[in-house]
Parts: sequence; C-alpha cells; structure tokens
Amino acid sequence: MTTLTAAPYARDHLPTLDRCDTVAEVATRQQGTTATASPDYLRLESLAKRFGETQVFSQIDAEIAKGEFVTLLGPSGCGKSTLLRAIAGLNTLDEGRIMVGGEEITSLPPQQRGVGMVFQHYALFPNMRVTDNVAFGLRMQKVPQEERGRRVDEVLRLVELREHADKFPHQLSGGQCQRVALARALVVEPRILLMDEPLSALDARIRRHLRQQLRDIQKTLGLTTLFVTHDQEEALMMSDRIFLMHDGRILQQGDAEALYTRPRSHQAAGFMGHYNVLSGEQAHALLGTVSRAARVALRPEAIYLQPVSEASPGGEVPTHAGPGCRGVIRRRQLLGNIVRYAVECAGIELSVDALNRGSRHLLAEESEVLVFVDLDEVQELEE
Amino acid sequence: MSQNADLTLSRPKAPALPTLRLPRPSIHALVVGGVFTLLALPLVATLGYALATSWGATLLPDGLTLKWFLELWSTPRFQLAFARSMLVTLGALVLSLVLVVPVAFLAHTRYPRLDAWMNGLVLVPFAVPPVVSSVGLLQLYAGGPLPLVGSPWILIFTYVTIALPFVYRAVANSLRTIDVRSLMDAAQLLGATPFRAFFLVILPNIRIGVQVAVFLSFSFLVGEFVFANMLVGTRFETLQVYLNNMRGASGHFTSALVITLFLFTLLLTWLGNRQSGHAIAKDANA
Repeated sequence: MTTLTAAPYARDHLPTLDRCDTVAEVATRQQGTTATASPDYLRLESLAKRFGETQVFSQIDAEIAKGEFVTLLGPSGCGKSTLLRAIAGLNTLDEGRIMVGGEEITSLPPQQRGVGMVFQHYALFPNMRVTDNVAFGLRMQKVPQEERGRRVDEVLRLVELREHADKFPHQLSGGQCQRVALARALVVEPRILLMDEPLSALDARIRRHLRQQLRDIQKTLGLTTLFVTHDQEEALMMSDRIFLMHDGRILQQGDAEALYTRPRSHQAAGFMGHYNVLSGEQAHALLGTVSRAARVALRPEAIYLQPVSEASPGGEVPTHAGPGCRGVIRRRQLLGNIVRYAVECAGIELSVDALNRGSRHLLAEESEVLVFVDLDEVQELEE
Repeated sequence: MSQNADLTLSRPKAPALPTLRLPRPSIHALVVGGVFTLLALPLVATLGYALATSWGATLLPDGLTLKWFLELWSTPRFQLAFARSMLVTLGALVLSLVLVVPVAFLAHTRYPRLDAWMNGLVLVPFAVPPVVSSVGLLQLYAGGPLPLVGSPWILIFTYVTIALPFVYRAVANSLRTIDVRSLMDAAQLLGATPFRAFFLVILPNIRIGVQVAVFLSFSFLVGEFVFANMLVGTRFETLQVYLNNMRGASGHFTSALVITLFLFTLLLTWLGNRQSGHAIAKDANA
C-alpha cells in the first residue's frame, strides 16, 4: 500500500479514510512513506521567466520531498505567484525543468500534470453546487458515478462541509468557499498541491482557524504542498521549510527557526520580523566589537532595556550582553503582548521589543535607559 | 375613565403606524405608474382595436370579437411571412452568437486591445442610416463573388451586423462579472481541456446575459422594416413588409397582427427566462 509508483494518480497519494481505521493510523503510514521517499519528489531546475523586459524570476532551484510543506515567502511582486503558476502549467517558462517523481512535466498542459491548485479568490464554479464543484475533476477523469459520489462525500467530510453539499458558492462564507476549493483540489488526488495565498482574502479569525485545519489535512494526507504567502507569521507557523523570495530569486531557505533567527542577507533580515540592520561602523559604536561583516542584524527581542536609575543589570539581561550603552526612548507602541520601543542609542535608532508585563514595567517616552544587546544573537550579514 | 383606558391601550400601537402609511401613493409610485401607463397606452389601444367589431364614432368599441385574430392566423400569406421572419431573425442571432462569443472571450482573456476595437466596430452599423447602407449593401452583393441580392441570406448577414452591438456588449459585460481567468485555470487544472472548460464553466455563467441580449435583439429584428423592404422586399416578404403591404386593408386586421407579434415576443421572453432558471438548476444537479 505504501509503495511508491510512478503512475500519475496512484491511490497512495490520498489514502481514503474508509480504508483506514483512524486518522492517526493514516498519519503514521504517511510518515513512513515520507521517510522512504526520495528527498527530491518535486525538483525545480534553474527555472527562469521574463515578461518582456522584466525578469520575473531566475535561477530557481529547489528540491522538495514527498509530503513536505514548503512555503514560498516574499513581498508582493517578488515572482512567487508567477513561479507557482508556472509549476501548475498556467504560465510558460523561458528556461529550466520541472520534475515530479522523476518524470518531467515542464511542457505538459496543466490538465495532464496531476497538480492541484487552490486560488486566493477560491475560483469556485458559480453555476454549480458544492458537490458538483468538488466532483468536477472526477467527471473530467470519467470516474463512474458511484465512486464519484463516494469520493466527494469523503473529501467533504475531511473539510467538514458535508452539511453544505447542496449549496451554491454564493451561499457560503469565504472560509467555507476556500474549504470547498481545497476539497475540489484534493479529490482528484494530485501529486502536488499548490496554494496561491489561499488565506489572504479571509478575515483574521477564520484565517487562523483555517491555517491549522489546512496544516492538519496536509499532514494527514502526506501531501506534497507548495504554499505561497506574503505573511511571515503564516509561513513560520505552517511550513516544514520556507523559501524566502526577493526580486525573482530565492534569497534563503530553511526551516522556520533558521530563517527567523539566522537571516543571511539584509533583504532577508528586512523581511523577517522587525530586524534592526546596522552598518559595520554602527555596530562597532553600539557593541564595541569589531566585525568584518559590512552589516549586522539585531532582533528587537534580543535587546534589553534597563532604566538608568536601577543600579545593577536586571535578572533578564543575559550574561553575554555587552557593557550596555546609554540611550533615550523616543517612542513607545503597545502591540498587545509586546511593547515596541524606538530607542536612540549611540546615534542609532533601534527597535526594541519587550514583553508587556503590565504598566508598572512600562518605560516612559524620553526616559533614559541602558541598552544591552545579547551578543550571541547578533547576526552578521553577507555583503 | 373609559376614555383614559382607551388612550393608554392605543398608545403601544403607535409604533405600528408607519406600516399604515404605505398605501398612500408616493412620488415613486406615481413616476413608475406614469411611465408604465405611457408605455402601455398605445398597446392597449391597439389591442382594443384588434378585438373590436367596429370602433368608429363612439368612445368605446361597439362589440368584442376574435374574428380578426382568427382570420389573420388562418391566412397562408401571414403564416409564410411569419415563418420567413423567424428564419431570418433566428438565423441572424445564431450566426452572431457563433461569431461574437469566441471573439468576446478572446478579447477578454488574451487580447484586451481587441475589446476597444470591437466597441468601435459594433457601432458602425448604427452610424450609417439604414437607407444609405442598404443601397451600399445592394451594390456590394449585386455581383462579385457573393451574389446574394433577393435571397434571405443578404438579410441574415445584415441583421447580424445590427444585432452585433447588443450581443457583443452583453457577452463582454457578462464575462466581466466572472473571474474568467481563474475559472479557466481551475477547470483546466482539474483535467478539463480549454474547450470543455469553456463550455462547462464559462458558458453557463454568461448564459443569462447572453439570453437577455438575444431577446432584445430578437424583438428588435422582428420589427425591422427598412432593410427588409429595401434589400428583399416582396421577393421575401417578412412580417413587417407584410404589415406594410396590408396597410390598405382593415385596421382591425393589422392591429391583430401587431398584437400577435407582441404576444409572441412576450411568450418567447417568458419561456427564455423560465428556461434559464431551469437550466441552472439542472446543470447543478447533473
């Protein structure tokens, strides 16, 4: 059952729940599959695309394992959506090869790629009910009616929409629409699932809920997934691995922790979190250390503030902190659980995040503070 | 005392009062009613004349009869003219749909600049007065590779150009209300060829708009006289030409003809609307 086959629509890509006892069992089985699968189930080899004069993306190389959840993260206009559409076959490529399970799909039309896609604005067929939307792919594959009904029912149960099966898309909420779209993409058992900012059109509460549900379903089915977003929180939360894109290039890749705590370039540092990016001289002035790197990045939560009036460094200042530098708080923003201070120190304005421990601990604007930096968390940047 | 009790009882009812104000004719009702009367009056008068035994010096007709209708419907010349009108009008509509739908689709999805061109192009038949363009058309089709003068084809081709603006705009507008690109993409990724995707996903979603355009053009074309008279005239007598030729006959008779035409168009429109409602439901159940 778990053996890999090269057949495009092999049943083992989407284990149907009726053949297994529990979801947990499916998950275990899928993990087994993932472990034995080759690390390059989906291979992108030096992909490039230009529209007229503008290079949309170039030198895109990636290897994605079976069952992996990979996110393409980047600001709008960085080419991530175009790249996703190229993998789906909806855009042509100027250079490069796309391989899925050892088979080249670069020049196949979209309907033969065995790729499922979920769009930002759902793209549900307005003239069809939920069931018919979901059954569409099976109809195209000429799956017999009985089996079609069964599989549609199964996948609707998976996305918890069975009670809405007879509704039209305009009768559903945004979150429900997106779950229908997901069911519609899943029912044909795609080899790869592509998602183009699927949560961006939804409001915050639904988005958080659906994020979790999406990830659970993806893990349960062991789906190889490529997810596009500009929301770093979404990327950090959901992904096995993140590809950070900028100006049509992959800047850096890695898991959430590596990408967040160890940005390698100032673009990466600029996009992740609220990094303070300092030049070499600024770093020297602030930290007193000499760094060979042209720039360094400082996470705002790795900087500690202490009122000048307090005699000794507080308990929370790490032992590895520098000597401390006198500064003045210029602005204070309350972000809920976090307080963000803009501190001027050695002629540099730093962004510093502190946990909001209640009004007693808040530091006043224009008050003088000592600024400590955790030297272990100073990140030297390339170029 | 009892009066006081009445007062206190009636007080809680006060909030319900606004609903009582509804029957008072508002300015909106007056405007709508006025326009409707203005539009319906000639039709009602014609209907009255068609049903009257005779209607001369009196304010109201002398008596009512269906004689004129029955006489009209049993006239072979009317039946033939009716059939010819249907043939030409429906032929023109089918042809314009076959021509326009793919063009509008491509203009919307692939060649946006084509849309601007089409918008100008579809207005040309209206810019030239029918009397002028019919002379030109006669000259064009009199000889050369396509001698069509006197055949119904010349009328069909001309009617296509008249229906073009209605049909093109309606199709283009309907396409604008749906996300054509995403729907095509989604359908193709689910295994449909572009052709099937178009027929299963795009066409059903623009059908209502297209239908409206078709009925509008239909009623317009069925009532067209100038081109029909100038281009084919008595050699291919359509309803309007027939009506013109019968102008010497009884007014009751021609009134019956006008009413018949109106009712027929009304029936078709109603059927069309009903059909589109059914089709959507059926499509979804299939």
